[in-house]
Amino acid sequence: MTMTKGAIYLDNCMTTKPAPEVVEVMREYQTERFWYPGSFVSTGEAANTIIEEAKTAVAGSLGADAKDIHLTSGGTLANNLALKGLLSANAPSGGHIICSVVDYPDLLTNAAWLEKQGYQVTYLPADQDGFVSAEALHNAIRNDTVLFMTTIVNHVIGTIQPMAAYKAVLEQAGHRIFWHADAGQAYGKMPLDMRELGVDTLSVSAHKIHGPQGVGALYVKPGVKIGQLLHGVKRADNLQAGGYNPALLAGFAKAVELTFTDLPAQVKYLRDISDYLLKKIETTIPQVELNGPGGAGRVAHNINVTIDFIEGEAMAMMLDLSGVTVATGSACASQGLTPNYVLMAIGKNHMQSHGSLKFTVSRYTTKAEIDYTVDKLAEVARELRKRSPLYKEQ
Amino acid sequence: MEYSQKVLEHFMHPHNVGKLEHPDAVATEGSPACGDQVTVYLKVNEETRIIDDISFLSYGCASNIATASIITDLAKGRSLEEAKQITYKDAMEALDGLPPVKVHCSVLAADTLHQAISNYEIAKGLKEVPDFTKDTIVDELKKIIYPQVGEDIVSLKMVKYVGYSNGEVTIDLNIAAFDTWRDNVAEEIREHLQKYPAVKNIQINLP
Repeated sequence: MTMTKGAIYLDNCMTTKPAPEVVEVMREYQTERFWYPGSFVSTGEAANTIIEEAKTAVAGSLGADAKDIHLTSGGTLANNLALKGLLSANAPSGGHIICSVVDYPDLLTNAAWLEKQGYQVTYLPADQDGFVSAEALHNAIRNDTVLFMTTIVNHVIGTIQPMAAYKAVLEQAGHRIFWHADAGQAYGKMPLDMRELGVDTLSVSAHKIHGPQGVGALYVKPGVKIGQLLHGVKRADNLQAGGYNPALLAGFAKAVELTFTDLPAQVKYLRDISDYLLKKIETTIPQVELNGPGGAGRVAHNINVTIDFIEGEAMAMMLDLSGVTVATGSACASQGLTPNYVLMAIGKNHMQSHGSLKFTVSRYTTKAEIDYTVDKLAEVARELRKRSPLYKEQ
Repeated sequence: MEYSQKVLEHFMHPHNVGKLEHPDAVATEGSPACGDQVTVYLKVNEETRIIDDISFLSYGCASNIATASIITDLAKGRSLEEAKQITYKDAMEALDGLPPVKVHCSVLAADTLHQAISNYEIAKGLKEVPDFTKDTIVDELKKIIYPQVGEDIVSLKMVKYVGYSNGEVTIDLNIAAFDTWRDNVAEEIREHLQKYPAVKNIQINLP
């Protein structure tokens, strides 16, 4: 195996490699079918169809109607349109909001901003595996609670939150509480059916499912009012002013088709590969612990482990020099020199966070790649432990 | 983050790594909680006061390992007096520079070397255990690097006031409320001062 930069890519939580079929379909829209959508001429009409095709594809993947899908420039725009739009249309004068300490930064930064605008926010705690209980949600609900936001799958440790239990709690709340879900890490990794899930709004992103970067979607339940945040020329959508990039939409539609044609088989493959990875790490490297839940409570593509006595940036860099890309929760590799907030929130200490590595696999990850990665990781762990003043053999 | 080729070389193939048997002096600085810890071992020729052998162990990131490696290279074969003059800037220069956010690693490496020398001198009766004074605090503050620019907080005039009386340390910092590094700098200060038994309480005032 020749090891060029990023030859083995195990940071699919961050972004995924575009499928070759996606790149192929996009090429046509970047060259021949470059037309701008929304005009009355035949070229514009032709461009319009890709908007509908993308909406229909995303709708199909979520058990929704195409008219309830709004295409955006990505998950972050979808989250912002939903949260600010729900509040501006339904609770403009303030109220109480509930989220959790382990939510995705999109939700937490919005919560912090909303607090400054006068909303009150309750941050639900998480248990040692990252689960935020429905009971905690129940206990946090007040008469003036207007919004609950949740991250379906945790982006650090893969915890799948109890959505059905949340739904039951919200239905019994006695008054209307709007519910937004970030599905960034859940989309394409587990079934999400809008007819059952019960959320009012939900965000997804194309580049997490082997689609292009820079395109995502927001689902809005029929009848739910969303205030308009973006103003400009409305070409195809009442929420999203401005133009579209047809190539990105075509790529998104193709990525959805490839992922959802047989979702159970895709999920099973991810689960098998990540189970294989974890087992191999646990049997090859001593003094390793899994961060987050094991089994069905964990999303199929995420393995997060702490390798005791050594630091994550050093491990990630050595693996990188061997052609393997992984992520770490170490403060040394973070923008603010702080340990990962999710790991700290589930009760890990600084050392456990510093020593954490996150592997996220994709449908392109092979067992041979896993074998190579764990062999390299074992070498890295041996070498760094030899240098560590903290290392104690078991 | 871009590391120089030299940093990568010393990270992948560090010099003088491991524990020395029967060292004449040892020092450990940093802590696992803040993500980096370095231990330096010294063997010193008692007559010439030359560092005959030196080694290190490191818990930390790539630049932590590389700076500890280079500091042992710089100190090996030098007299204690020469080795005391080695600064974190010398270590950085020898590594062809460090990203600003990683400068604190070179400070930790230089600090651990100096502490090991000090421990040797105290053990051999060459000097007394220094008293803890306001100057000690200022010297420690000079070791705290503002990660945004990679220079120490004293040179950057971020320290407005230092007070010390009966174990009570008071420090007024000039660092804006919206500064990303505010908590990090305060945490570093606590960490640097808490190791002194004389310090009972640390009051850090931020605007």
